[in-house]
Amino acid sequence: MLEFRNISFSFPGRRGAIDVLRDVSFTCGQDEIVAVIGPSGCGKSTLLSLATGLRTPTSGDVFIDGKAVKGADLRIGMLFQQNTLLPWRSVVENVELGLEIRGEPKEARRKRALDLMQQYGLAGFDRKYPHVLSGGMQKRAALAQTLAIEPSVLLLDEPFAALDAQTRIVIQNDVVKTCRARKRTMLIVTHDIAEALAMADRVVVLSRRPAQVKEVYEVSFSREAASVADAPAMPGFAEYYRRIWHALDISITGAAA
Amino acid sequence: MNSSAVHRLLVILGRVVVLLVILLGAELGVRSGVMSRLFFSSPTEIVAALQAQMADGSFLPNVGITAFETLLGLVAGSLAGMAVGLILPQMRLVANVFEPFLMVLNGIPVIVIAPLFILWLGLGLASKVGISVYIVFFTMFIPVYTASLRLDRTFVDALRVMGASRSQIFWKVIVPSSLPSVYTGLKIGSGLALIGAVIGEFVASRAGLGHMILYASGTLDTPSLYLGIITIAIFAAALSFAIDAMGRLLVHYRFSDEK
Repeated sequence: MLEFRNISFSFPGRRGAIDVLRDVSFTCGQDEIVAVIGPSGCGKSTLLSLATGLRTPTSGDVFIDGKAVKGADLRIGMLFQQNTLLPWRSVVENVELGLEIRGEPKEARRKRALDLMQQYGLAGFDRKYPHVLSGGMQKRAALAQTLAIEPSVLLLDEPFAALDAQTRIVIQNDVVKTCRARKRTMLIVTHDIAEALAMADRVVVLSRRPAQVKEVYEVSFSREAASVADAPAMPGFAEYYRRIWHALDISITGAAA
Repeated sequence: MNSSAVHRLLVILGRVVVLLVILLGAELGVRSGVMSRLFFSSPTEIVAALQAQMADGSFLPNVGITAFETLLGLVAGSLAGMAVGLILPQMRLVANVFEPFLMVLNGIPVIVIAPLFILWLGLGLASKVGISVYIVFFTMFIPVYTASLRLDRTFVDALRVMGASRSQIFWKVIVPSSLPSVYTGLKIGSGLALIGAVIGEFVASRAGLGHMILYASGTLDTPSLYLGIITIAIFAAALSFAIDAMGRLLVHYRFSDEK
């Protein structure tokens, strides 16, 4: 379980401190997928970096399974927006990187990495280098790398933004299935409303900076849709979409009135 | 035979023809007196000069000394440049303090600083190695340093999230990401290491190819002058070839944005 308790974050700017997050509180339970959505630049990614311990909140605390996060936390796995596969390592060496950092013996970590690669459709690519993989396969390799360390909390920072629309749905589906099967806690930051609705049990809408929790929506069909691709056809999808769009309060200038 | 094989054969044939024309032209030109013996030498004269220098036992030691100075300068300068280029960016304060000093030092032409090295380190090997190290250091330091500064922070963040320590990040991300720059540094540095050694020999020396060339020039021994130039050219080409072969081992991957 991941809990943000009264989180505020600001950083010093030229004219006084810039408030990014103000008193943000919400939890993301075990076996639950929460999507955080908000206007561009509202501090969504900052929220994740606070959970990973890369940054420290100005006030408030982040708790994982009831214990406060202090510095890099081994219970967390994160999937980044950018490609984080190291280009000088083969795919299997990338997948086992987290285990290598933890000092896992070579044979055990290689076996675990190969198993995961098999599972995510990367069998036979273990000795290839990341640049020969397609964008979708790179993302799957990154996912295998993240899962290799068996994190109890999975953080996703707009991880599918760079993928083409069809590949994106396939990978979103893989991630949701993985998270459900392993009963993990998952938090995904996105600015794609459809993605939030298709993947999450709960959607937290943040306001503009300084970001506060503006609305929280429980997605009624989250476990009923057979796959991510079926979500838009579920009853209520359009209504959620409309309400979230309004909550985001984005003005479309130049649109015919 | 397909067209690319024909092409390759023609290229090799063409190169042999060009070489033969140069050698034959020089031989005939000098023999006939069209080309002055003061300015040009025929291949046979150059070979005779080589034989004479082999006979008096001066040729191989001269080659050996210059090669030794160059290689030692290249290895020591590259290692120092790599170490400072990799470590300095990890210490922002120190880096910011030293940056202008390093840039000014780098700006000094080597020919200007060479006499100082002779003064410090004497007429022998040490001063030539010193000059070589001095130039190679900067040719290695600058690309490695800029690459470490421009390193993609996402890689570092990804490893930190996985719980990597500072030294793990250094060895698993920063060092390997610098390898393409190390290769660039070695490639440029190998040529400059040789220049450093020869310049040192020009300024003041008792042996080496630079010394031999300068002596030949002073005594109007044109064939020996050409012999020195040709020997240096062959050594430089061999060195560059060796670095290329090493580069393929060093950088066996491509960065994803270079697709």
